[in-house]
Amino acid sequence: MKEFGNQASVRFENIEKSFGDVKVLRDFDLVVEPGEFIVLLGASGSGKTTALRILSGLETPSGGQVYIGDENVTDILPKYRNISMVFQSYALYPHKTVAENIGFPLKVRGMGKEDMDAAIHDAASQVQIENLLDRYPRALSGGQRQRVALARAIIRSPSVFLMDEPLSNLDAKLRGHMRAQLKHMQKSMGITTIYVTHDQIEAMTLAQRVAILEKGVLQQLATPAEIYNDPANLFVAQFIGSPPMNVVHGSLDGSRFLTNGVHVQTAVSGHAEKAVMGIRPEDCRITSPSEGTLSGKIFTNELIGDHALVTVAWGEDQIAVKAPKEFAGEMGDDIGVIIPTEHLFVFDETSGQRIR
Amino acid sequence: MKDASSFRFRLANRTLMQRLFEAPAVGKMSPVSKLLAHTLLLIWSLFVLFPIYWVIITSFKDAAAVNQGPFYLPFIDFQPTLDAWRIQFTEDPNCNFGAIARQLGLLVYNSFVFVVSPVVSLAPMEPQICKIYLAFTNSVVISIFSTGLCVVVGSMAAYALARIQYAPRFGNILIFVLLLVGVIFATIYAGAPWWAATAVALAFFFLLLRALRGVFKTSLKNGDILFWIISQRILPPIVVVIPIYVMFQAVGLLDTHLALILLYAVANMPIVVWLMHDFFANLPIELEESAQLDGATRPRIFWEIVMPLTRPGLAATTLLILVLSWNEYLFAVFLATVKVQTMPIMIAAKNTGEKGIFWWEMCALIVVMIIPVILMSILLTRFISKGVLSGAVKG
Amino acid sequence: MASLDDMRQPGFPPAGTTRRERFAEWVDRHSGTFFIAPCVTLILIFAIFPTIYSIFFAVSRVRFTPDGLKFRYVGFRNFSKQFFGSSEVHFLGRTDPVSLFGYAVFAIVTVAVVVWLWRSRKITTWVGMLGRTISAAMAIFLSWILCASLLSGNSIGTLYTTLFYVFVGCALQFAIGTGLAFLCSQPISGKNFFRVIFFIPLMITPLGVGYAMRMVADVTKGPIEPILGFMGLQDWIWSADAWSARFMMVVSDSWQWIPFIFICMLAAFENVSRDHVEAAQVDGASSPQIFKEITWPQILPVAVTVLLIRMIEAFKIVDLPNIMTGGGPGSATESMTLHSMYIWRANDLGSSAAIAYLLLILTVVVCASFFNYVVLGQIKKARA
Repeated sequence: MKEFGNQASVRFENIEKSFGDVKVLRDFDLVVEPGEFIVLLGASGSGKTTALRILSGLETPSGGQVYIGDENVTDILPKYRNISMVFQSYALYPHKTVAENIGFPLKVRGMGKEDMDAAIHDAASQVQIENLLDRYPRALSGGQRQRVALARAIIRSPSVFLMDEPLSNLDAKLRGHMRAQLKHMQKSMGITTIYVTHDQIEAMTLAQRVAILEKGVLQQLATPAEIYNDPANLFVAQFIGSPPMNVVHGSLDGSRFLTNGVHVQTAVSGHAEKAVMGIRPEDCRITSPSEGTLSGKIFTNELIGDHALVTVAWGEDQIAVKAPKEFAGEMGDDIGVIIPTEHLFVFDETSGQRIR
Repeated sequence: MKDASSFRFRLANRTLMQRLFEAPAVGKMSPVSKLLAHTLLLIWSLFVLFPIYWVIITSFKDAAAVNQGPFYLPFIDFQPTLDAWRIQFTEDPNCNFGAIARQLGLLVYNSFVFVVSPVVSLAPMEPQICKIYLAFTNSVVISIFSTGLCVVVGSMAAYALARIQYAPRFGNILIFVLLLVGVIFATIYAGAPWWAATAVALAFFFLLLRALRGVFKTSLKNGDILFWIISQRILPPIVVVIPIYVMFQAVGLLDTHLALILLYAVANMPIVVWLMHDFFANLPIELEESAQLDGATRPRIFWEIVMPLTRPGLAATTLLILVLSWNEYLFAVFLATVKVQTMPIMIAAKNTGEKGIFWWEMCALIVVMIIPVILMSILLTRFISKGVLSGAVKG
Repeated sequence: MASLDDMRQPGFPPAGTTRRERFAEWVDRHSGTFFIAPCVTLILIFAIFPTIYSIFFAVSRVRFTPDGLKFRYVGFRNFSKQFFGSSEVHFLGRTDPVSLFGYAVFAIVTVAVVVWLWRSRKITTWVGMLGRTISAAMAIFLSWILCASLLSGNSIGTLYTTLFYVFVGCALQFAIGTGLAFLCSQPISGKNFFRVIFFIPLMITPLGVGYAMRMVADVTKGPIEPILGFMGLQDWIWSADAWSARFMMVVSDSWQWIPFIFICMLAAFENVSRDHVEAAQVDGASSPQIFKEITWPQILPVAVTVLLIRMIEAFKIVDLPNIMTGGGPGSATESMTLHSMYIWRANDLGSSAAIAYLLLILTVVVCASFFNYVVLGQIKKARA
């Protein structure tokens, strides 16, 4: 077993993967710093799980190289990569007790009984399941199974920690709790972690950096704040944020965006026959019809809790605006919306790239 | 509006015909069809049980009770006796307690010897004494070991076909078969010794394999190999039994346990591969992938993760194969001439008495043969109906 | 056997590994071969090799000599003997004279088969066409033998005796087994008891079944003697008449094998989706309608698969006729396996192997035809 230390860097170089005619990953490059927590975010079929499986060695790439530390591991069997993985279904062995499950990675390495027991207790205490060691997985709740899977993954202090949507089988309340715990655990242990999810909240809250994939292509790799405030292209802009960013189709002429017979002032300038203007609902403000950048009629007004979400019909488009929860507009009322220039993104519609 | 209680479709207000022919609720049966179903099932139960009952009571009859016409009920029609049973176990004056103990010892010894070295002959027994113990121990040894071999080897192949990609070249298989024909031809018509011909052919095979690497493009897939193995079950045993007789004669394995163990294992292999392949293919693959990441080797994953997970199916398959090899007749009649006679052969041999068949003795033997399988099947019925069939009958 | 394992060789052989670990490593790397090799080797040695070896028996005159077997090549004489020579009546039955009825039926069947073959040329590849031609040739041959022997009032040989066991036996077993399974899948009390009872015959050695049936059906001392006497059949002996003896064989075989159909079909019935049945019940369908429209189509793929398995095994029947009648009266109840076995006992190894080979060809063509035209069709329909 080659030791990489438990803070290994990970590098994907020009990884290609196709299943038959379907290209799942295209020219995928990614560098993960030692000890970093990276989230691969994408819809299903975006290639994020394939990237993870290529790193784990469960799939072989069609082209390109994978490095863990300085070692090229592209051709190396999974067991020599010193990685551990938490599966979406947890993959607990149903015929083994919790202790046997956690100890399995050590057992296959031929570790002695006493050392193993100590390690099992140590790992179990880190995820607070010491009292469950004698049970079988079928007698555990979803959250407990999750912890067992985690304990099994951390017990042999891997160089890299892979997680394939580990929280998606939990209910919403437990998910939030486990998320916090995961983040704390990763921080304290400092293991390089690659985490795959389709849930943007998990991605934003957990990651040091987020890699967004779509159709096998890496769209943007940046910190959560950057991803949110400075999306590289239209896909990222629309994918991140809840409720999603408003998009309005039109054309860009200099620093004016033309749509629905209105010019909207933009902070950038350029020319595009077909362009897309994007603005997040929380950056817009509701005002009287005469004062707004644009004016339209209220389509719906939904009270969410701490705010109200007002959808304004504007020509063919709809603009969602976060309004104070006291806002009491009725459907059909005329209303104005202020769009601050500094929060307006403009994208080229054909390429999807941001116009800066 | 009418009073609700007079509503015609209420259970309480139905006509007699409705009461008889209509189901009282969804998921229930009407009284008439219930009666009909129970009658049919009871009739069939009688048909199933009667021959078994008859065999059992006949084993407690004496010659007179059998020969003087049908007597149905013990103690009423005829006086049951234990003669037939006593004869089985005491007919032979040599068959005293010591001989039985020796026989049981041989059972243990044979099992041990077989595990240590399968080539050592397993039958240092005197075939003349204690026939029933001999046959019984032979049957036990042969069916247990052949079942074990068959289930282990078959499961391994089934697992491999479910999880590992194979691609044997079609051309290589063709070369192999042609060389096989050549070996037989050389042995039969040119008088070459079989081992020399085989060695030459194997050498040729590997040489050709290297020389022709990449010439043949078409290759078989896992499904083809699976189909090939399963289709071996179509082969009627009578086709292979004569050549196998000659083969075993050539290597001096005729009339040994090993011969029958190997043969039974191969004959039942297609069933194991077929049933187990389905179980393996339906296991969630994450468990194996996880074990792989944890550093387990393929054989370890097979023994420690996969096999325990298929335990119900494994139990059912084992029982099925055990019964099949326990009851096998054709191979045994050709290959087990004296020393390794199994129970079926012994029973069949009772057919050739000069004074006609002693039915009461025959029946005692049949009962001896049935008891173990019935016991096992009752123990494992739960597995049988759930295990085998969930995997096997998916179509 | 070449195996493409998922991974190429591991890059770094660990430095301080023991020999045992290195061995485990080596085994793991070649696990593809190790897992399948024992099975394939055993099958090659004990199934493929003897099958090929058997051809050499079938085309030779084989004699036992003090220094082993002596083979003398005789071409296809062992085969032609079964069709045109001394064993023709034994194997095919008496095929002369052929009645007008026999000719007429044969003509109709032949035309039907040829039309089927002609029509299928558009819907299949040349491989499929080859297979269909073989099936058609077998069908025409079998129908000729049937028309010339049975339909012309002549006796049948071991070929048709075997086919009688297979087709009549399987049909009977399938009908009764499915019926019982259907009853047991209904909500009635005591069905677990019936399940256990019905399962028992499958466990009993065929030999035991043969003897038990012989005793039960004994016309002088058996339990049915008073019943026969009551019906005025004191002098009737089933084993003296060819057809009643064959029918007795089928009954005994069914007694043993109906449980097999029963448990498979019971599992199939219980796997039928409850949602569909309940939806139909709510829609007001009657039980026969539910059976015909919902249950039956869902279990059909299983049913034909089970039937195929049963057919494959039925071709091998040997214990029952050997025990119950010894093949008699004459050779009326001899199956092809028993026929081959008796010739082997008479030391004619060549003819014995030839008959075994004919059985192999018959089994393969019939079962493969059934698989291709019936089972595959049903499975495809179920998946579509």
